Amino acid sequence: MGFFTGLDAEKYDRKYSDRELVRRIVGYFRAQSGRLAGAGLLVMVVSASSALLPIIVSRGIDQLRESLTAGRVLLIGGGVLAAGVISWVANWGQRRLVVRAVADVVARLARDAFKASAEHDLSFYDEFTSGRIASRITSDTQDFGQLVLLVTDLMAQMVESIILAVVLVNIEWRLTLISFAIIPLVVWLALSYRRLARNVTRAGMRAMATVNQTIKETVSGIAIAKNFRQEKSIYSIFDQANRSSYRVNVRRGLVLASVFPTLNMLSGLMAAVLVYFGGLSAAAGAVTVGAWYLFLLSFDRFMYPVMSLSSFWTQVQNGLSAAERVFALIDAEPNVVQTGSMRPPRLKGAIDFHHVSFRYKDAEPVLDDFDLHIRPGETVALVGHTGAGKSSIARLIARFYEFQQGQICIDGRDIRSFELSAYRCQLGMVTQVPFLFSGTVLENIQYSCSGATAEEIEALARQIGGGEWLETLPQGLHTQVGERGARLSMGQRQLVSLMRVVAQRPPIFILDEATASIDPFTEWQIQQALNLILSRSTSILIAHRLSTVKAADRIIVVERGKIIEEGNHQQLMSRGGHYAVLYDTYFRHQSLSYVEEAGRLKAGAEAGD
Amino acid sequence: MATAQTASSEYSITPPYATNRRSAVGWIASHALRQWPMLLLAVAGALGNAALAGVLPVLMGQAFNLVMAPELDKAGLIRIGLLAAGSQTLRALLQLGRNGGFEMVAQRLERNVRNELYSALLGKSMTFHNLQPVGDTMARATNDVREINLMFNPGINLVVGSLVFLFVPLLNAPRYHPALIITPLAFMLVYFIALWQYLRELRPITEEVRASFGSLNTRLNEALDGIEIVKAASQEQSEVERFGRNVQRYRDAVMRQGNVEARFLPLLLLAVATALGLFHALQLYGQGLLTTGDVVAYFSLLLLLGFPTNVSLFAYSRISLGLASARRILELMNRENNLDQNTAGYNQPMRGDVEFRGVTFSYDGSEPALKEVSFKVRPGQTVAIVGQTGAGKTTLVRLINRTYDVGDGQVLVDGRDVREWSLEALRRQISFIEQDIFLFSQSVGENIAFGKPGAAQEEIERAAQAAQADEFIRTFEAGYATVIGERGVTLSGGQRQRLALARAFLTEPRILILDDSTSAIDSATEDRIQRAIYAAARGRTTFIITHRLSQIRWADLILVMREGRLAACGTHEELMRESEAYRRIFQE
Repeated sequence: MGFFTGLDAEKYDRKYSDRELVRRIVGYFRAQSGRLAGAGLLVMVVSASSALLPIIVSRGIDQLRESLTAGRVLLIGGGVLAAGVISWVANWGQRRLVVRAVADVVARLARDAFKASAEHDLSFYDEFTSGRIASRITSDTQDFGQLVLLVTDLMAQMVESIILAVVLVNIEWRLTLISFAIIPLVVWLALSYRRLARNVTRAGMRAMATVNQTIKETVSGIAIAKNFRQEKSIYSIFDQANRSSYRVNVRRGLVLASVFPTLNMLSGLMAAVLVYFGGLSAAAGAVTVGAWYLFLLSFDRFMYPVMSLSSFWTQVQNGLSAAERVFALIDAEPNVVQTGSMRPPRLKGAIDFHHVSFRYKDAEPVLDDFDLHIRPGETVALVGHTGAGKSSIARLIARFYEFQQGQICIDGRDIRSFELSAYRCQLGMVTQVPFLFSGTVLENIQYSCSGATAEEIEALARQIGGGEWLETLPQGLHTQVGERGARLSMGQRQLVSLMRVVAQRPPIFILDEATASIDPFTEWQIQQALNLILSRSTSILIAHRLSTVKAADRIIVVERGKIIEEGNHQQLMSRGGHYAVLYDTYFRHQSLSYVEEAGRLKAGAEAGD
Repeated sequence: MATAQTASSEYSITPPYATNRRSAVGWIASHALRQWPMLLLAVAGALGNAALAGVLPVLMGQAFNLVMAPELDKAGLIRIGLLAAGSQTLRALLQLGRNGGFEMVAQRLERNVRNELYSALLGKSMTFHNLQPVGDTMARATNDVREINLMFNPGINLVVGSLVFLFVPLLNAPRYHPALIITPLAFMLVYFIALWQYLRELRPITEEVRASFGSLNTRLNEALDGIEIVKAASQEQSEVERFGRNVQRYRDAVMRQGNVEARFLPLLLLAVATALGLFHALQLYGQGLLTTGDVVAYFSLLLLLGFPTNVSLFAYSRISLGLASARRILELMNRENNLDQNTAGYNQPMRGDVEFRGVTFSYDGSEPALKEVSFKVRPGQTVAIVGQTGAGKTTLVRLINRTYDVGDGQVLVDGRDVREWSLEALRRQISFIEQDIFLFSQSVGENIAFGKPGAAQEEIERAAQAAQADEFIRTFEAGYATVIGERGVTLSGGQRQRLALARAFLTEPRILILDDSTSAIDSATEDRIQRAIYAAARGRTTFIITHRLSQIRWADLILVMREGRLAACGTHEELMRESEAYRRIFQE
């Protein structure tokens, strides 16, 4: 039902011309044309045999006046049986074909949509939440598939009622008109129920959202309530929400509960009218009794296609706009465009920014005429306030975004000339929030181009901090990390992310350091892993920890997309410039001297300051 | 009947009525029977609806007999027409009664079941709530409770409503000829067998459909959320292939479900039954045992079997889904509750002296989380607990307020085993600030006053000042009246922690336990957090699970945990001398 949908549009959405849309849709169904033609044919058979059943019966009733031979009885009974069996078999075949066609089209569309999504660059993901993209890939593709079911169902009902209508008109047009009188009534009913349901739902929806929210919150708040022995007050909040949820639901439930009784009453009254007028016509000889019975058997079959039709267009439109949304996802233009497809040899790690200008979509420029030269094997730490452009520099090196002017060269070659995935195989990256995929620790470490074996990884893991971190994992390398790595602590996730890079041995390493707090023992192990990587790669570090900045060969202070200071920790501290200020803001509390100083804070607090 | 709460529960709400919690069916029944007036209305509606649906074919038969008579009884035809109109209007009303009745039962059950579940949850121990994942409880309180609603309407509503239709031809057929009962009777028998077979065949397949869609969706969301990693590791191609495999698995499952649904046998049985019934009736007609009207009436009665046949495609699965949900809810409510309140226990103001004596503890039978832990804390001391994830830090502090009971050894507070304390007195004087701080979507002020409802505004503000929270609260437009978004999303971790500290201040606990995992981005914030914690620790025994070197450095006692054991214990100076691992973390 299309009552509740109202998906927000995204910027990459486009309006397809009807012709274009049809062309695309037909494209997806072309591979299924055999199945669909077969299904269409079988739908006809189902409808015809379903329509035939009352016709045979009515003919049979007419035969009763004449002499009823055993042969005729067999013929009528056999006819009804044949019609029923044929209808069942055809229906069986039809459903099998349709379900296959739909499943295949949906699967193909979902695959295409995901493939396109995987190819979009990160500017796309900045703009559109992954949840919405996922819903286009799963639910929109299914809505689109529903179009086929809608059409076949409606087709079956329509064909059946058209056959019956033709037969009825040929028998007696006045009675037929009476039968048809039900159609506008059903339309009117269907429409007014829809309006009613929509109103009740709309009224209830907001109330329901708050109520659901409160129920969820009171469930998750139980533990804290127990902590403070506040069970009673939280219960009263829950109870109130539960009661109002009941009130809203009852109102909606009762409206929906009255739909079918109303329709049944309508068809019951219609039957009464046809019993009377049909009886009169039959007595007067205008129609045979068999024909009269045919009217009684078939008038309510006009109700269903009408019911279906009244919601058909909304549903078709939903299906079409779902298709449009999926196509828009597939067709969104990439921003990162490569000019060549060179597979780089093993890189040395020289990185050069020449007059690079960069901004995110429609935003202020982040980098303007930016120059930076990093020597092979160098460790460079980028520091600066949030929004200074540190991450952008790292992301441009990873070629996640397209820059607008200038040139970025890796080992003297234009970054745009590389075949992207071959280039990225030589990059090691750890993001600020370490992200793991569900699976084992080992699988996550192997998630790169390195192709390292389990034994090699085991050996590497033992090197880091004496392998102590492996002992804290219940099944070592074969520990399941849970969805998004949730079963591991933040520190363990970081270690796994770093191990991935250790196993990969990339010539270039990019680290966006985490800000989360980690227990000092794990932190020490992280430092061991990091040191190993830094000794083997050209490293670009977006540093948040004091030990990391200190480990860098060169610290680059970035402000508003410009380098305002550079040098190592000692040099910059003694200069007392920008870095010294940043140090006081972001790094001071990580130093051991601060730890010593904290004793004074404590003394102050204890004095009742 | 078992009562809704046991003597050992930590908190109890008198339920409006007792329920039978021994089996899912019994439990649902004990809830449903409380709604007997509505249930009665619904069942009466179902019976009346079916009976009156059977009246129409009978009337049609009579009409045919009238018309076939040599002289038309026009008044009789009018009477039949009016009877048909009247009976069908009444039928619609009864059907409305059936739908409405079941709907009301369904909604009330949802409300009452959720209430019972929630009350049961409130009665559970903290142990239970610490072990039970919130997401799972949530699913049972929302989705599973909703399934019970849907089990009644449309589930039971349609099953009951349509099953009685099976009897209409059965009861009316003998009216025309006793032998005519054969077809509806035979159909009924075979119908149930076929239906049972169908449902049995479908169940594993629908489970596979659900499971395959679940894994498809999980991986898809992960891949999109972690797209940066996917790209950085150059794994787009392998993700596309993996997605393709998942899609294929889901597609295959959907197809198998389609295959089973397509060959839904009861529909074929219906076709055969109507044909045989008609054949039988015509034969009897040929023998002069039936009139035309009888044949018409009988055949029309047989067509009523279509309703139960079509409905059973989905109505039965609703019931089995509902029962599965009922079982899940019952399982949660019936789970053991192993701590008792000990209301008669020791109940005195606490000094804050804590001692662990050879404490060993394991979560139901698994590898011990704590092994032989012993240490002693004097009132007012600050204890820092350090160690890696899984070392047993959180487990250790949870034994102090008896979230769990020790397996072996003893935990003593003020020289008395915590099991001798009245649970209420023990917990009231211990405040626990969890790692994941939960704030309600209420105002900041109400959140601070959570442990002390009705606290005066000055008290709240004083607590906030001590916790270094006053400053940032005042930057909000509405100050203390600012309503916090869901799960406190609009606040940073450090701000939430300081609100939790303020909350603890108000209750003036003798022992404060703080699971601290926040981190400050900048040094100024760090200063404030430090001050807040020192202020909180002042004058009370304080346990801090912490990563902050400064907290560790200045603690009166440091416990270094490693794989469930107390690896080292002492002051900073002692540990610097004695522990290599400890020394390592204080190196720059």
